[in-house]
Formats: sequence, C-alpha cells, structure tokens
Amino acid sequence: MTLRTCDFNRRQFLKYSGAAGAATIAASLTMEDVAQAASVAPMPVGTPILVIVTLYGGNDGLNTVVPYLDPAYLSNRPDMSLDASQVIPLSDGLALNGTMTGFASLWAANKLAIVLGVSYPQPNLSHFTSMAIWQTGSPVEEISSGWIGRYLDNLPHDPFRAIGIDSTLTPLLAGDHRVGSMLPISGLQVPTGSLATQMQLMANSSRQDTALVADAADSIGDLFQLSATVSPVLQNAPPSSASPLAQQLDVVANLISANVPTRVYSVSLSGFDTHADELGPQGTLVGQLSDAITAFLKQVGATPRANDVVVMVYSEFGRRVMANGGEGTDHGTSAPVFVAGNMVAGGFYGEQPSLTQLVDGDLAVSVDFRDVYAAMLSDVLKTDPGSVLNKWPTKLNLITGAS
Amino acid sequence: MTTASDRLELSRLVHRFGFGPKPGEYVELLRAGIPQARATILARRDDHGLDALVTPAFPNMGQAPSDPTASAAYWQAVYDQSISVAMWWMDRMVLADYPFVERMTWFWHGHWATSISKVSYALPMKIQNETLRTHALGNFTDMSRAMVQDGALIFWLDGEENVSWSPNENLGREFMELFTLGVGNYSQNDVHQAALGFTGYQVDQTSGKVTFDAKDHDTRAQSVLGKRENFNARTLSDYIVSRPENAKFIARRLWFRFVSTSIPAPTSLANVFENRDIAELITTIAKNPAMRRPGVSQAKSPVEWFVSSCRALRITPSKLPSSGDVAWMLDSMGQFPFNPPSVGGWPYDEAWLTAASTQYRIDMTYYLLQHGNLDPLTKVSKSKMVEAAADWLGIPQWSTRTQRALNQSLTDPNRFAMLALCSPEYLVSA
Repeated sequence: MTLRTCDFNRRQFLKYSGAAGAATIAASLTMEDVAQAASVAPMPVGTPILVIVTLYGGNDGLNTVVPYLDPAYLSNRPDMSLDASQVIPLSDGLALNGTMTGFASLWAANKLAIVLGVSYPQPNLSHFTSMAIWQTGSPVEEISSGWIGRYLDNLPHDPFRAIGIDSTLTPLLAGDHRVGSMLPISGLQVPTGSLATQMQLMANSSRQDTALVADAADSIGDLFQLSATVSPVLQNAPPSSASPLAQQLDVVANLISANVPTRVYSVSLSGFDTHADELGPQGTLVGQLSDAITAFLKQVGATPRANDVVVMVYSEFGRRVMANGGEGTDHGTSAPVFVAGNMVAGGFYGEQPSLTQLVDGDLAVSVDFRDVYAAMLSDVLKTDPGSVLNKWPTKLNLITGAS
Repeated sequence: MTTASDRLELSRLVHRFGFGPKPGEYVELLRAGIPQARATILARRDDHGLDALVTPAFPNMGQAPSDPTASAAYWQAVYDQSISVAMWWMDRMVLADYPFVERMTWFWHGHWATSISKVSYALPMKIQNETLRTHALGNFTDMSRAMVQDGALIFWLDGEENVSWSPNENLGREFMELFTLGVGNYSQNDVHQAALGFTGYQVDQTSGKVTFDAKDHDTRAQSVLGKRENFNARTLSDYIVSRPENAKFIARRLWFRFVSTSIPAPTSLANVFENRDIAELITTIAKNPAMRRPGVSQAKSPVEWFVSSCRALRITPSKLPSSGDVAWMLDSMGQFPFNPPSVGGWPYDEAWLTAASTQYRIDMTYYLLQHGNLDPLTKVSKSKMVEAAADWLGIPQWSTRTQRALNQSLTDPNRFAMLALCSPEYLVSA
C-alpha cells in the first residue's frame, strides 16, 4: 500500500504543513499519561497474545523452506533454485532460504514450528478467493466475516481486543457484529479542546443510522478511545529505514510492553506475487520477514511478557513447482505456515509434499489450515475453536503443554 | 415541492455519479426536480469547468542514465511525475462541471486496477487513463479490446514474460477473474489456454508502446471456454466478452460500486447490458428505485472524500502548496490514484471507516481548510448556517448528534467546516 518512493514520515510532514501546532496537536506526553494509559485496563502478564502475519501475493513455499536436495526441485527450476551454498539446512532434506538467518536461530532454539504443505481442500488459485478463504477461515461456504472477527463476536465490545497495524480494515478482523481496530504505524493524534468535544458528539451512533453511518460514527469514537491509551505508548515512531513489517512489529512490541489489553495483532507484508524474476526479491522479502520477527521476539523477550507471544505467518497460497519462462512462478497451492514464540514446540509438522506426485499439476495438501487456526484459538486465545471454525474438530499440538 | 426522498436521491446522485456538488449546485439541482437533475448529472457535454485545467507534460523518460548524478535526477523526475499525473487527474475530478465521465473513469481504474508501483512511469499510466476515459461510457467490447493491448496493463500483469514456450498466467487469469467473467466462470485449463492466446506482446516500459512479436506468440489453436481457435489478444478479448457471464458480471460490478454492496443486483440488469453499452447500463442503474429507498448506503473512499471536499472548498488539488503532502495524506488513508494495492482494486465501505482513517481525515481537513473558501458558511446568518451547510455539501439531512456539534461552532466557521467535512453524514452517502 505504501507509495514506493514516498518516504515522508509523519514527523516531517507535521513540521512541514504546520499542523503540529494547531488542531492535531498530540496529547501531552507526560510520565503520568504513560502510567495512566497502562492503568486503563492493563492485561495481566501471562495472558497469551497472538500476532498474525499475512504475506500478500502468495509466497513461494519452495524457495522459503527449500527441498534443496530434491532433484525434482533443481530440474523444475533450472534458473531459480537455491543450491546448498544459498540455504541454511534444517533436517529431512529441507533448508531455510539463506536470507532467513533469524528463523534459523529460532529453529535452533526450538522456538519455531514449521507446518508443511498447508492449504485446504481443492485449493483456489485466485489471490482474492484464496485470501478470502484463509481470512474467513471457511473454504467450503462463502462467508463474509473474518475468523478473528468471529472470535470478537463471541466477546463484549472492546476496541482494544484486536488491533491491526494499517489504516484500512483487514477482513480478518471483521466479524458479523464486531470489528477489530486499525492503528497506523505512526500512532494516533487527536484534536484537543472544544473541537475534540464536538467531534465526540458526532461519535454517538443512533438507531436512525444505517449500518455504515453507525460505523462512521463509531470510527470517530474509537479514535478518541484508542488514542487516549495508545498515544503515550507510541511516542517514538519506529525508524523509517526499517522494513514495513519491522515498523509494524515495533509498534506491536511497544503496545505489548505497555500491557495494552490486546489479544490479537494483525500485521502484513506485501510483494510476494513473483511471476517474474523471483529469486532476488523473494529472498529479500523472506529475509525481511525473518529479521523482523526475530527482532520482535527479542524485543518482547526482554519484557515480563517474554513467554506470552505467539507469531503465526501465512500467505494465500504457495507457487507452482515449475518455474515459468520469466524466472518466476505462477500461482500454486500448499506452502509452509510458521508459528514462532517461547511457548511454541519447535520442529516440523505435517509432511513436505512431493514435487513429483502432484495433484492437478500442483503440490498436494498435507495439513488443513484450520488445524493451525484451531491451535491458535484453543491454546493461545483460550477459546473454543469450534465456535469460530464451524465445528472444525481437530488441531495441531504445536503449543507447549497443549493437548 | 421538495421532499426528504428527493433530497436523499439527489444526494446519492451527486455523490455517487459525480464527486459531490460545487457550492450552490445541490440547491440548483433540487429546484430542477429529480428527473431533470438526473439527466443533468448523467449528461455528457462540453465541460467548461475543465477550461482551467493545466496538463503537465509527461515525456517518455527513456532508459535511466548510468551516471550517478544524472540517475538521481532521473528517478526524482520519475517520482515527481507519478505524483503529478495523479494530481492532474484529481484536478479533472474537481474542476469538471459534469464530472460523470471522470467518475466512470475512476470506476474503471478500480476495475482494471493497474499500479504505478510496478509500472513506474507516468506516461503509460496516463495513456491507460485516456483509454479508460475514451471508453468510460462507450462499449465494453471496445474497452476490453483496448485494454488487452494497453502497455501499462500488460506490463503490470507480466504480459512481457508471457511467451508461447513458457506461458505466464497472470494476465490470462486476472482478465477472466477480475475484468470480464468473475471467479467460478472458467477452469484452470481455460486460464492456461487464455494465457497462450495472450502470448507475444512486448511493452516498452517507459513509453508504454506495445509491439506484437510473432515468434513469441503461440501459433497452435487454444481451447478457451469451449471454443478452439488460434486466438490473439483482440480475438480472445472479443470472445470472452461475448460470453453471457460477462454481462452478468459487469452489471453486478457497477451495481456494487454505485448502489450497494449489500443488496444484490436485479437479475434483469444483465439484459440491459446485452449490447455491452456501458452508458445504457449505468443510466438504468441510476434510475433504479433503490436509489430512492432509505438504507442503501455507501461509504466514500478517501479519494472520493478528498475530491468532494475540494469541490466544496473551491480548491484545485495541484495548486495546494505541496503535492507531496497531499500524496502522503491520501496514501496514509489508503488510496492514491494510479496506485491501487493490488489488481483487485481498492476495498470498499466498512474498510474505510476505521479509527486510523478518521485520524488522517482530521489531519487532512485541517490542511485543506487553510486553503479553502468558506463563503457558503460565512455569507449566511448564524441561524441559517446548519441548514446552509447541508445544502452546500449535498447532505440530505444532518443527524441530531451532528446538528448539536455544529450548533456549538456557529461562531467559528473553520471549526464548523471541520466538523461538517468529518461528519458521518459526509463520509457515508446515506
């Protein structure tokens, strides 16, 4: 979403436009504010937190967790395969892309679960349909609510419970009755004084409103409510030199350290639709992914919440086994899902799909993503997975102590 | 005699089929009555509003120089052009007296969503924009045929890489899924075969010029949706667009974006599109009784909100002190022309109504009010200000809560305007 070459950051902008001095002046940031923010409804240490990382575009699983010894891998991708010198071997003939040194250290520390061959029955090769299936958690029936949205539906309204770091709503967080809140990287700065009072008058939705007008009114109310807690926590914007994902996770780490009562965070990284000249850019992206998550876990690892955080990484599909003529890959099916954190039981789950025994020309599915979601719902969010996933009965035990 | 239903229907017409009223326009149209107002809004005529438009040059940038200093200047110019082509288009939306054509062009941009983030150069994007404008209210068969030979679109969807001995499915798939038929109306094999039909087109990235290279084109017969033929881009587009699913799909897309994302399109709408006449389809949609029924709401996207605010405030976007600031603010809200997030275009409705976008909208309103004209508020007595503001912005009726807020700001027109432009009633076309 970010304009590629536009690197104004908020601070520069405010200075430039002169807006900082007037209507949008930030709430005053005293130590008292910080203390107050954390005391609104601080979340007890020990409450598990789920961080969902969405990779948009369809990440190439085979150049992420690489079957580097498989002759079929090399023969299908003559100009875009990674050889032994470009990967970090794990076990079972699989290796991480050489850019993913951070993930390799998590793996060595037994804090990284790699679930192999994840998708759903009859995978769809459309970005939009497949992403909708992953985000709604419903491969069979077409529904409009996100799976985290339905988790929110089962609980009282609380704008803090699920937060996405972006300015537009991700479908993942939209339930039938409740939606998660969206927070930009730069945090929130609201008007003060009588303008604030009058703005908040407009935030009272009424029964005469259509659903969308009520949403518009609520968005004003949510802004003021969130801002009061979040602004003091996010005084220091992350460095704009960091990757977009690293910036988002920096915000999440700050909120977690401040005991903001949020159980689910949603962040994302785009650019994985590598139909052409894939090798360099995809390696860079998975490197950014690995670096950002490793740094994030280190950041929260230095706080009392070190053992509370679980990160889950998925994309809408993997890519075709065989490279196309442009040294890229077209849309495919199953791919690995990563789950990382101190309470994760590291290792491989599921099976690496065969590169020769294909199903309709694509990788077979070894694990249904709902088994991963059910683990997150049951063992991280401590809720009944069946109530969110249309009675889905099974789950993977990839959280330590889960049964 | 003006009724509440008239105010509601006219408000939807000016905001959804145009970009909101210029000062005084809503009252004038209301006076004319709905049938006349609708005809005016949907009219295509010489637009003297656009006389003031300044069109910057978008030269072919050619290859980047290797000298580091020259290269830095080159990329700066490429970046500046990517901003100014968007400002140029938003100027058109704001200045037009009859913005219907721009509104349709805007719709088609979201439909054939192509992003400068990959295309990089303004010139091919501008050429595509002119193509979309030419066909915006023409025949969909012609539009589709032009688009499959459009340099920016081909480059965006890797048509460059699509050669007979190694087809790239990106264009073939998105053409059927997002542009012409909708998901579920073709098989994976159709995608593969269509990709072969689209082989052989090369694009000069900086000029957008498309050439056909016969040696890269698949010369065998392809089998697409039951028809076997050696297709090329033009014949493939014609055939796919001739399918009955195309009429249903495009009718639903227009209904979805102009009327409602929650009420299904009437099934009869596809019949109106039998000849692929876009003007006939959109006119039929504009006359649908749903346009007068309460509850058929749509949220404005950030660009729609920005453009309608500029029209109300008599601001020409490119004349704001910094186009970079405008780009930054719109991008923060999640929408900048020529830069859709993906080939699926932008999200809609609830997606725009978040705390985060409210934050940026407040910032941007503050910025706009430093440069806008508030005559419609300052030239009326305080007792008439709330009512005058509804007419100024084309709002059918203020809610009680917003009236309360506005009534507390009668002595401060700037603050009053801030509230009105950020009000739920202005963000959502009720």
